[in-house]
Amino acid sequence: MLLVVTYSRGARGTLRNVCRTHEDTIVRRFGRAALFEATHLGAFLALRLREKHGPDVQIERTRPFNEFADVPERIRDAAAAYERRESPSTPYPKFAVGTEHPALTEMREGEL
Amino acid sequence: MKLVVGERTYEGRAIDLADDPDESVDRDVEITCPDPGPLHEHVGVITPEYTIDLRSALAAVARSRGISAPQDDLRREARRRLAAMSLPEVETGEARRRLARAGDSEERLRERVAAARGRLEALRERSAPEDEITDAQADLREATRRLSEAETERIAARQALDWERRAARRARDQRRQRLALQDRIENLDRAARKSLAEAVYDEFADAVDAVPGEGTTGSEPGTYEGDPITAGLGVARIATLDGPVVLSIRRFPDATTAARRLEVPVVRL
Repeated sequence: MLLVVTYSRGARGTLRNVCRTHEDTIVRRFGRAALFEATHLGAFLALRLREKHGPDVQIERTRPFNEFADVPERIRDAAAAYERRESPSTPYPKFAVGTEHPALTEMREGEL
Repeated sequence: MKLVVGERTYEGRAIDLADDPDESVDRDVEITCPDPGPLHEHVGVITPEYTIDLRSALAAVARSRGISAPQDDLRREARRRLAAMSLPEVETGEARRRLARAGDSEERLRERVAAARGRLEALRERSAPEDEITDAQADLREATRRLSEAETERIAARQALDWERRAARRARDQRRQRLALQDRIENLDRAARKSLAEAVYDEFADAVDAVPGEGTTGSEPGTYEGDPITAGLGVARIATLDGPVVLSIRRFPDATTAARRLEVPVVRL
């Protein structure tokens, strides 16, 4: 999908109009951002927006997120284990001490 | 106030052209009168198609009396901050184009290397003459060298794009702040208009009763119900206007009555 984010009132207004006019191509709208279908029409609409509003429009492309293909097992396990922790008020760094789970600083450096 | 149309001259606080025999013809009109003010934007001309933004009009009346809104300091401060913002222009289009081109070149050259390798192997397999094999080896070496260059360029283009994207993100943070500030200003302006309109609303309600037309005024500006012309006449009545209001409606029997009821100079068409 294409993620379109606007950064000005004008761009935001145009995005709103596009979403209203092309409902089929708009997957989801969140105020000043929206997800377009990754079709030629989606790209055309996104690029038109950028032609009109220049740097006030950001366009990114999303990929389906498959945690089993994209994320190391350690990270997945850590997330699941943390959610199952006994005391809800324990912050993650404290929770990870003395375990195999990765530290926040380590994960911050790791690229998917 | 003085008005000249064709060969006729009219003077006074109330000028009536409604019965002018030449009215149906487009003529140049020359008028001498005090300059219109900001309130004339709201009630300067009232025709049968008249519409009014009542809250804005009432707020303008309040402002004309020097009434200020509690939000005025905040509005001024927010506008000052907005004017002081400077937004860097960051363009990543060129970097993207460079990366796309580099990727295409690399792919093309990869294919060329594969083809050159294939040709070399084919020559070896059928034991082709030595010089043909040497030529094919040279071709492969050359293709490999150019592929290596293309790979380097693609990596450099990728790094350049990453750098540009980081700069673009910082620039967008600023734009987001500007947007939030603009929204804040609009909210403050709306709240100010509401306060100002409320300050004169009771007076407006009385004025609506005193002008021809139907309109119900509740207790606050949002509750007015009735036609816009009645509301416009009400606003004209509570406003202090030096320049005339132009009426091309037939609610009053004549311009003089209109001027008296609205307490403003009137030109009636």
